[in-house]
Amino acid sequence: MTLLLNSRSQGLLALGLRVVLAGLFVVAGGLKLFDPAAFAVEIDRYQLIPWWSCALLALLLPWLEVCVGISLLTRWLSRGALAWVTALLIVFSLALLSAMLRGLSIDCGCFGRLWQSTGTFWPLVRNVVLLGITVFLWWQPHRL
Amino acid sequence: MKSGGQALVIFFAALALAGLSAAVHPKKPSFPDRAVAPGEISLPEVQDWKEPILWVDARLESDYEVEHIPGAVSLNPDNWSEQFPHFLDGWRPTEKAVVYCSAASCDTSREIADRLRRSGVDPVYYLKGGWEAWKSTR
Repeated sequence: MTLLLNSRSQGLLALGLRVVLAGLFVVAGGLKLFDPAAFAVEIDRYQLIPWWSCALLALLLPWLEVCVGISLLTRWLSRGALAWVTALLIVFSLALLSAMLRGLSIDCGCFGRLWQSTGTFWPLVRNVVLLGITVFLWWQPHRL
Repeated sequence: MKSGGQALVIFFAALALAGLSAAVHPKKPSFPDRAVAPGEISLPEVQDWKEPILWVDARLESDYEVEHIPGAVSLNPDNWSEQFPHFLDGWRPTEKAVVYCSAASCDTSREIADRLRRSGVDPVYYLKGGWEAWKSTR
């Protein structure tokens, strides 16, 4: 795709995708900030980590997502933000995949309880698409 | 600054804000024990109730037919349109409805409880630990 687009189109595409990615992270984190206790229960449903770490993550993850989103939007520390986006999307995808393989009937919990997404399959597909966007953005270092 | 350094700065900023949340957020999670989510109820609490309880089994009908809490009615996303009118016929407003599914990992009980609440059934709760919690006390 990089070869097919001229430099200006590529820059615009990178800008658009960066804004979409940043917006998603700000919204996802912002919605979870309303009710960390409920988000801790959502994490606990994955049955991957003990309760105390669910509670810790429920406090930390929403702020991390918001900070990462703002960094991407403002281009301040954006390389670090992109590193976090990559790491978070990989971890979230592995958690979703693990839930699917164990046949857990749970909500993704990606956007807290104010915006619920049913099941784990489509959130996993969305994460893979977002990872694709992230990889594309990594290849645009001069525009970050 | 390299990516790793930038990532650390972001992490510490988020950590500081998370610390603030832990100190002042009215809905912060409790660390020693698993929190009870809004609408969720534990079995010991239900057993303390004096009011009549209407148990709602949100598991698959095949599981319901094998075994269920005595007096429970079957109501799940698959049979909702068919069974909900029957549920309303049997429900009395003085009863507290408690929905359960298979285990703590399932989410169907919360979904059915939300549907019932939106349909005017109140109060309605979903059982923490679900059927597994009930069976473990038998």
